[in-house]
Amino acid sequence: MKIAYNHLVQYILENPSIKQVSDSLFQLGHEHEIDGDIFDMEFTPNRGDCLSINGLLRDLSVFYTVDLNQETFTEKLDELLMSFENLSETTCPQISFLEIEIDSIPQEYNSSLNNYFLDLNLNKNNFFTDISNYLSYETGQPTHCYDSNTINGKLLFHEIEKNEAFETLLDKKITLTGKNSVFSLNNEVINLAGVVGGKSTSCSANTKKVLVECAFFQPEAIIGKSVKYDIQSEASHKFERSVDPDCHDRVLRRFIKLVSENTNIKNMSIISYKFKDNPILRIPVNVNKINQIIGINISKNQLFNYLTKLGFHIEEDYIKVPSFRSDVKTHNDLAEEVARVIGYDNIPLSEINIPKNEKLNHKDVENKIRYFLLDHGFYEIINSPFIRSSSEEAIEVDNPLDSNRKFLRTNITNSLVDNLLFNERRQKDSIKLFEISDIYLSNNGIHKKRKLSIVASGRVGLNYEDFPKKISKNYLKTIFQKILPNHGLDFKILSRDLLDTKIKNEIIILEVDVDKLSSDILYYKEKSKPPEGFAQFNPISDLPSSFKDISYSIKDYSKAQELQDLLLSYDSDIIKNVYIFDYFNNQKHEEIKIGFRFIFQSMETTLNSAEIELVYNDIVSQSLKINGISIPGI
Amino acid sequence: MSANKDISPPELIKDRGALHPINHMKDSIMNLLISFGFEIIDGPEIETEEFNFDMLNIKKSHPARQMHDTFYIENKSKLLRTHTSPVQIRGMLEKKPPLAFISGGKVYRKDDDATHLPMFHQVEGIYVDENVSFAQLKDLIYKIIYSLFGEDVELRFRPSYFPFTEPSAEVDILSKEGKWLEILGCGLVNPVVLDNCNIDSNKYSGLAFGLGIERIAMLKHGVTDIREFYKSNLDFLSQFK
Repeated sequence: MKIAYNHLVQYILENPSIKQVSDSLFQLGHEHEIDGDIFDMEFTPNRGDCLSINGLLRDLSVFYTVDLNQETFTEKLDELLMSFENLSETTCPQISFLEIEIDSIPQEYNSSLNNYFLDLNLNKNNFFTDISNYLSYETGQPTHCYDSNTINGKLLFHEIEKNEAFETLLDKKITLTGKNSVFSLNNEVINLAGVVGGKSTSCSANTKKVLVECAFFQPEAIIGKSVKYDIQSEASHKFERSVDPDCHDRVLRRFIKLVSENTNIKNMSIISYKFKDNPILRIPVNVNKINQIIGINISKNQLFNYLTKLGFHIEEDYIKVPSFRSDVKTHNDLAEEVARVIGYDNIPLSEINIPKNEKLNHKDVENKIRYFLLDHGFYEIINSPFIRSSSEEAIEVDNPLDSNRKFLRTNITNSLVDNLLFNERRQKDSIKLFEISDIYLSNNGIHKKRKLSIVASGRVGLNYEDFPKKISKNYLKTIFQKILPNHGLDFKILSRDLLDTKIKNEIIILEVDVDKLSSDILYYKEKSKPPEGFAQFNPISDLPSSFKDISYSIKDYSKAQELQDLLLSYDSDIIKNVYIFDYFNNQKHEEIKIGFRFIFQSMETTLNSAEIELVYNDIVSQSLKINGISIPGI
Repeated sequence: MSANKDISPPELIKDRGALHPINHMKDSIMNLLISFGFEIIDGPEIETEEFNFDMLNIKKSHPARQMHDTFYIENKSKLLRTHTSPVQIRGMLEKKPPLAFISGGKVYRKDDDATHLPMFHQVEGIYVDENVSFAQLKDLIYKIIYSLFGEDVELRFRPSYFPFTEPSAEVDILSKEGKWLEILGCGLVNPVVLDNCNIDSNKYSGLAFGLGIERIAMLKHGVTDIREFYKSNLDFLSQFK
């Protein structure tokens, strides 16, 4: 909600700066951004009472002297004779109507009304609607204006549960479905209560006689309607968060005053219906409890002082909660009020000491297996559980984000295979992935299983020992044999026939229940450690990479290390990785053969062969400066 | 020709894998909280409205319960938990105070953009004992934030609203760029919630807090798009060893 700084500060005697008001609002819990002189407020949903100038000033009055010098019409009013019936008193326990007839429609508004539209850059509508909108901004109470001449029968408030066409005053045609609270006239819905009025009875630029409806609706009856019918409605935003049920007389008298400040009133009359009293809540005074909740030590007088400033009344041993604070019900609520006034940041810390017992970490087996897999070059993956295709045991989401995410997965492996193919498309040739996750299955009820899945393919590793070896069932069985000797883990080869790929490497998969893994694994001594600190992420290139291999012959053994130092730390923006993929010490011929693979990739552009050659040639020329080293073929 | 033919081969670099950065962040926070005396408990990701909402004082009319915010399954008879709080409810129903639980895991909300995902991770904690106060909650939160971001970090507590805590607060830290960033939500357990779990709210009080793991991981690792965490891109994952 947008609130202009000068609209607030005109009522504050200390004339605080926008920064001071902003700081006060933050202390009170009213998050906002500032755009010029406008506060863009984001109120928590329990503070519907703050959705107005006056509501915010009520809170700010704990820090400032607020003088709400807003005049109201104070004289006696005639009773409005109208035909109205309320068939849903629980939803609408209080409602008032005011009828006003004016001599002429003002062409220009007085400055205070005009500034509302100017300062907030709002469009004017018609005179009575403009007054209603301003009044809602000032007081927080939405009112609805009917063109009185169109109300030519009995007005009925009731709940309907049938499909009914309705055209809003914003020219939007909707069909009401399900249960709705509405106002009807001659069997036609003319107002979706608390959300938006109908076109047939709305005010126009020519309306001189208005029927103003001022009501309290139970939030539960309004919640969700504006979203359901896709209607932007400030009124429903307020009704959903609850308005002050006891404000009608003041609000309608203020309506009269605002009209009279802009034009001459010919006739007016009012009627109020109170079907049920608004319950008054009184909370016993208990300063010790408030102090205990917050962890402070304030006196009863300080407590009374804070609460009085916020509009609470002290009645001997009770604190009377004002009608506009429907969110306050308990001592914890009062404690929050006190804490806000003091300032959360001003509450001193009190050391916490949680009793420490011997507590079991039941995820030991799971953690061991994670570190075992890390030791063998596996990467941990987390996938979304939402999938497109169904299977017999898949749980269907009633309200999916889209048809591609309509079911919950029944296995992890399929997700990991997708991850594998994704990384193969990114030219990775050694891929080892695992994921541990709960899986939910529907089979005479919902069943949870905690699963470990492994998917691997390509080279065993990117070093001169593992480079030529391919990941196979045998490879995986062998490494698992070390930690789970008695487990016949059922590694399988997944056929690539149905996969969108041209790569031929075998894909090995495994999916097992974590609970069934033996605690033998607890004896495993992992080499990997959790990362120290938190590495800063470097942006990733999505452009294609390419590689070049250089194989050297080293006759002078003493130069082997020099060559490695040069090549493994060779600095270039387009070299993404370099590793030794081949090494052979032919002692008979007194020659070392060593091969380096360089992976080239740019962040900015797809590299062409000339750009790669430039770097490649420099690598070659620098390395050949080392005596006793040659590149066969060059 | 060198006389030494027994030269050592080059260092054999075995590529170690990496924990997923979100799980690593979750583990780090959980381990920190265990060191404060909290005990890990787990709960299901598929929950009932009763545990996910009712027991936590989230009224039937609360917007979070609408179909556009929560994933429902099995003809709305169950849902994907929208927070890890129902685990605390299950813990409180099982054990009597004093109790100190943490739970971490996946939660689901119907969102999907650069800063929100339909699946994300939370860690939540609850401590219930006699005379637990907001001042103690502040002490705990300072300890958590100082451990995560260093003792130089500036933080502030803002009043907020959660149906299951009262008073409630959100905690921000000041970024290097001078911007306040929301880090966690916390508060004293609403006595209604304690009563729902058969804990005498006249005798006991509790504190609770919850952190979004992705948000903290994004800050710590300098990741700006939350979706990066879930592309399963080895070029991304290999950066977090």
